[in-house]
Amino acid sequence: MINNPSHPKKGHLKTKECKFTKAGIEYIDFKDTDTLLRFINDQGKILPRRVTGNSARHQRQFSTAVKRARFMAMIPYVTENLR
Amino acid sequence: MNKEFYELTYILNPVLDDEKFKELVDYVNKLIEDNGGDIVEVDEWGTRQLAYPIEKKNSGYYVNLYFEAPKTAIEPLERNMRINDDIMRYLTLKYDAKMKRHYELKKKGDLPVIFDDVEENDNSDED
Repeated sequence: MINNPSHPKKGHLKTKECKFTKAGIEYIDFKDTDTLLRFINDQGKILPRRVTGNSARHQRQFSTAVKRARFMAMIPYVTENLR
Repeated sequence: MNKEFYELTYILNPVLDDEKFKELVDYVNKLIEDNGGDIVEVDEWGTRQLAYPIEKKNSGYYVNLYFEAPKTAIEPLERNMRINDDIMRYLTLKYDAKMKRHYELKKKGDLPVIFDDVEENDNSDED
């Protein structure tokens, strides 16, 4: 995740606009792990809206999707900090 | 009776063999059909690494399926899945209009792309 060039916390995203709205996404699928990982930090925490620029509606959908994916063991609840 | 569109994902115990997996998938499909449902699509993802151990196991056999069924079918289905020890997790979702549209798009293969060629942009900025 830290090597991810599009990671929102790397300061790469200057434009504060919702990626989901821009792409015209209607439903965020919990099975789409690659997308979910883009908006999650190294510990597996959901990034805040002020960092990612998600719209309120999509942030809500996204957080449900993350929680579903966590339940199905597709993404971790917590990641041990590998030092 | 009015039928709803559902998605069901479940994880099977990975220590079983292929024959037993097939048996269990058939068992779940039969459960749905016995309760008045129709299977639309079954997708077996196969054995995958789990993000965290469940019942002391580090991998699981994922099955994802779509079906149409009346509302009354869900309760007996989930009860039977809960009782079965070889099914470690299951998740049933009822699809609304938006989710269904998303599903149709995904099937056709033209889902909107969220991240397009981010790395290429990075290189061009360096000059």
